[in-house]
Amino acid sequence: MADHNDPNAVNSAFSDIDVSAADLYDLFGFPVNNDASGEKAYIALTFASVPKTGVFDSDILYRLQIHAAPRVAWPEAEGRSLESLLKYVDAVKEKYLGNFKASEIRVNIDKDQRAHVKFLNFPKTADFATSFETNKVNEVKTPDGQTIKAFIGGREEAFFNDLTGFFRSINYGPQFYHVPHTMLEGRELPIPKTLLELEGNDLFNFNPAEPTVGYTTKKNLPPGPYTWNGTTYKKDANGNFRFVYTGQDSRKGLNSNAIVFEIPLSFLTKTPATDRVVNTWGETWVLKASGKVAQIPDHPVLSENPIAFLRNFDLDEELKSYKLVDTDGQPFADAALSEREDSRQMGANNFWLAPVFVKRLAHLGWGFGPSISALGLKTSFNHDNSPISIHKTYSSVIEAFPRVVKTLFQPLNMPDNSWNPKGLNIPLRRAFEVFVPNVCAIDMDTTGTWPFGRRLEDQVATRFLSLFLDMEAELNGKKYHIELLNEQSLWDSAPIEPKTPPNPIKNDKEFLKEFPYLAEPW
Amino acid sequence: MPSPGKAAALTDYQADLQRIQSDLAELDEKTAFAEPIQSETATRYVYRLYALCSLNGDLIGLRAVEQSIDRAIQHLGPAEDLCLLKANLDFKLHRLAETKRDLALAPALASRRPARVILADVAFQEGHYAEARQALEALASEDSTWDVLARLAHIEGKMGSAAKADDLYVKAQDEITAKEMRSFAWIELQRGLLALARGRVRETLEHYQCADRAYSGYWLTAEHIAGLRGSPYHYERVLTEVNKPEVAQKLGEIYAKNGYQAQAQPLLAQALEQYLESAQRGEVHYYHHLTEFFADVVPNPQEAVRWARKDIELRDNFNTQTALAWALHRAGQSSAALPYIKRAVESGVNDAALLNKAALIFEAAGDWEAALECEHRVVHLNPHHAATAHAHSH
Repeated sequence: MADHNDPNAVNSAFSDIDVSAADLYDLFGFPVNNDASGEKAYIALTFASVPKTGVFDSDILYRLQIHAAPRVAWPEAEGRSLESLLKYVDAVKEKYLGNFKASEIRVNIDKDQRAHVKFLNFPKTADFATSFETNKVNEVKTPDGQTIKAFIGGREEAFFNDLTGFFRSINYGPQFYHVPHTMLEGRELPIPKTLLELEGNDLFNFNPAEPTVGYTTKKNLPPGPYTWNGTTYKKDANGNFRFVYTGQDSRKGLNSNAIVFEIPLSFLTKTPATDRVVNTWGETWVLKASGKVAQIPDHPVLSENPIAFLRNFDLDEELKSYKLVDTDGQPFADAALSEREDSRQMGANNFWLAPVFVKRLAHLGWGFGPSISALGLKTSFNHDNSPISIHKTYSSVIEAFPRVVKTLFQPLNMPDNSWNPKGLNIPLRRAFEVFVPNVCAIDMDTTGTWPFGRRLEDQVATRFLSLFLDMEAELNGKKYHIELLNEQSLWDSAPIEPKTPPNPIKNDKEFLKEFPYLAEPW
Repeated sequence: MPSPGKAAALTDYQADLQRIQSDLAELDEKTAFAEPIQSETATRYVYRLYALCSLNGDLIGLRAVEQSIDRAIQHLGPAEDLCLLKANLDFKLHRLAETKRDLALAPALASRRPARVILADVAFQEGHYAEARQALEALASEDSTWDVLARLAHIEGKMGSAAKADDLYVKAQDEITAKEMRSFAWIELQRGLLALARGRVRETLEHYQCADRAYSGYWLTAEHIAGLRGSPYHYERVLTEVNKPEVAQKLGEIYAKNGYQAQAQPLLAQALEQYLESAQRGEVHYYHHLTEFFADVVPNPQEAVRWARKDIELRDNFNTQTALAWALHRAGQSSAALPYIKRAVESGVNDAALLNKAALIFEAAGDWEAALECEHRVVHLNPHHAATAHAHSH
């Protein structure tokens, strides 16, 4: 998922803004080692199928940035303090603001729907470019004789998630109501975020009489106040909580457009034996008007008066002709942690948002933490045993940090060892490492399942919620893990309706066994 | 102006027009206001209606839009987006008091960015130049969007440095994406006007032609090119696209100037009739056209003064002050014109056309020193003013 309907400048949740081809959906990345040709990294960027599935907007430029590096283990000795967190952020900042220059695959599609692809700043070869047909698998020969598989075309939407449930959990007005675009405070309404419906939260609780609201219809926004003054979660006659999620796939039967590559690791780095983590993130840029004018064939009458800004662009100049619109690295880095603001669209360079993340995580924790406790589970968030979700925001990171210290630093347990097929000593990842920098970090020694990358079949929305579980706690003799909330047996025994994992456990269409793996479009 | 080679295809303007008309064919008034009224549907409808009239310059059509907005507000209450649209419409029609009232209808609206932008526009129109600039600079410091930068450029162009104004327009253009080519073209036209105000005709034409390339087939670009070239052919082309009395007036003026009275008279009569019909409906946006018409086109100075006084009651700024002063001057009351033209000049406006009128008024009133000062400023601002004056009056 990551960031459907964002950023706000291209947010289709608002009546006067169209869906844009610049609206990134997801970034997937995992290792592929299925033949003798060596290790390869699979990277897929999906986005809105505008103007339609398999047809691309020629005003948009897509960038995949890639950087292979050694795996870095967080030194536990650093301790779990705000100081150590900031030290980590400083190190990231040093890296991404220094002389660092990622390799890049830059893609645009012309009006004839031919893809033009540039490979820039790769460590072993000079820059090169190619072009090929869209909507078919292509093989690109690199200058050093390797083969990159490429597919740019329409695909089935690989996102499977109860988006409405997520928006219900954060009381996101525009999903359910017509919220004037000017009314910024009408987006996330100041009602406690929660996994369980709140008694009397009539604005967002599911109403059986209006089953389509939040899915295919919206209501008129009633006059405020948009607050909640209750004290309990809603329960039915049997004493069961009402889940804000339904487990239904909001993106069922839909398509996206996709840019997909399968790249040899030995092309991405000179030292594949040590550079075991491929960090990648995607960006969309929209052509500036001045750049478009420069592309319009000159009028015969005008040719005697050439416009000053008509010029041949070199590569740097090319990017100056575009504006950054959207960035995608980690699922939920935008939607859940930075309130989907245009000004916070950044990839690897999101280190300065670290304090925002801490405060936002604490804000979410006051909603989700008590919900988890109410279900009888242990939470990583320190909510002082609050019996009910609370709407609380922070202006101070120092105040927020103690609440989320465990959420940030606890190792995210995996359900079993299948993620680490080689049985190597690979440390479990922690929330702060996952989200700062905002990149998909594909660990080539793992299966690439989230958070060691992101596989197509990963239910990342549910795994994101697991950040708020206490990974030191146990259930039935087994430590909590990132798949716990995805287990049907957990919900079968929970006092809740409907008894379902929050999000669908699999995609609505089978993925392919071979490249490009994403399913054929509907 | 369709570009050669695009004859068979729709121009950008036609494509936009067709898209909005297609939207409105699917979402008509009946559907938009079908019970129970959905605020999103009704709001989208009135926005599309407004977009259509805004695109094709149909000020008469705005009356119907206004009725639909009022209907939506009546049913849905003073929702922010409806009140904002109403304010935009009122501002477009020079109804400043109503604009402010609209923005006060929804409690928090006046504090929103789009409303603050309109309030800055209102302040400028009311002659509160420093307040307008300050408000826009604050908005730009929060987020330098193209529309705010363009407004700052306009103020700078009128009251400061033309070079700085052009820089601001360039910065504004840098914020515009390929999805907003009409906005880009509009700024090219403003840059053209800025160049023209300095007598740079060739540069002006280049900007206008760039606007045409950026957004083909746009009547507004064609109108600017017609104004620059001063040829009947170009104005006739514009009139095939839009029914605007001011364009008919300009065409009539050209015919009259060249001795073709038979062709000129119907056009001038048509323009006047439309201006007066609008005023009789209680509309105020043609007051300044009526002032100009009676002052210079078909002289009737007393009428010019009457309309100028009505306009200045609504908008007391250097333009309306100059228009009233000029009307009084044409009516032989140059002394009575002095207070108004002094206020206009003292505002700090840097407009060669305005200052040229001021020089003539000061001279007629016997204030030789002020007249000379204004003449010097005209020469400094635009050495070619006399040669380019015909193309200024957009």
